[in-house]
Amino acid sequence: MKENLMDIICCPLDKHDLELDVTERDDEEILAGTLTCTECGETYPIEDGIPNLLPPDMRDEAPA
Amino acid sequence: MSDDEPGSVPDTASVRATYDRIADHFSKTREYPWPEVEDFLDGRSGTVGLDIGCGNGRHTELLAECCERAVGVDLSRGILETASDRAADRGGSYALAQGDASRLPVRDGVVDVAVYVATLPHLPTRETRVASLDELARVLSPDGRALVSAWSTEHDRFDRTEGFDTTVEWTLPGGEAVDRFYHIYDPDEFRADVAASGLELGSFELSSGNCYGVVRVEQSG
Repeated sequence: MKENLMDIICCPLDKHDLELDVTERDDEEILAGTLTCTECGETYPIEDGIPNLLPPDMRDEAPA
Repeated sequence: MSDDEPGSVPDTASVRATYDRIADHFSKTREYPWPEVEDFLDGRSGTVGLDIGCGNGRHTELLAECCERAVGVDLSRGILETASDRAADRGGSYALAQGDASRLPVRDGVVDVAVYVATLPHLPTRETRVASLDELARVLSPDGRALVSAWSTEHDRFDRTEGFDTTVEWTLPGGEAVDRFYHIYDPDEFRADVAASGLELGSFELSSGNCYGVVRVEQSG
């Protein structure tokens, strides 16, 4: 994802702003990191450049 | 493979697992955009375009052409990887995010043009389907428009007139079949679910066995 996606995305639970923490970057592309809700504190991972913004109760559902 | 009996209570996890499993083959058979989506997008423009249930991104790339920026959201990580690969192959310029249609990770009122096609029927209950329409209403800008589609009882393969839940098999190369949950809408029910949400229906049509509605945020008063 690119940093300007932050203007569009929000926490799926309470719709508040997210705070970006980048751990791996390739030029403009953020490959890994976390997004943390500034209100509820829930943390969402960025995996292979794609933010996983599933609500946490869906994130851990193992595929059948 | 699912052990679920037909008619068992569907859930989002099984729909997601199915698409993670069939992602590569599914994507290869979904090369071209739907003409109904091309018609809807013809002449539209905006700052932000959103594709809910973006699949391999075939409609997200059209949104990226008519909007300054486009985002594709999908439940399935496997499907999003096919979209990412397709964008890289074709020079597509749009963002992707993994998310749930009934709890969208998108800010209020930022979306000018949205496409929510062939996805609503995969949501397991009426409650989650109407919630997803409410979410679409929340993220649309005051002048925003969205195209919503759902497989309909009017399709030739169905002989019922009222909406119903079913599973439709996806056959992988090699012959293995994987079930996908669908709620098949009857046209009145489609209108009723839109009306029950924060959206209002502008135009409605039946095309190729699908209900298509162009919607906007419900106007008060």
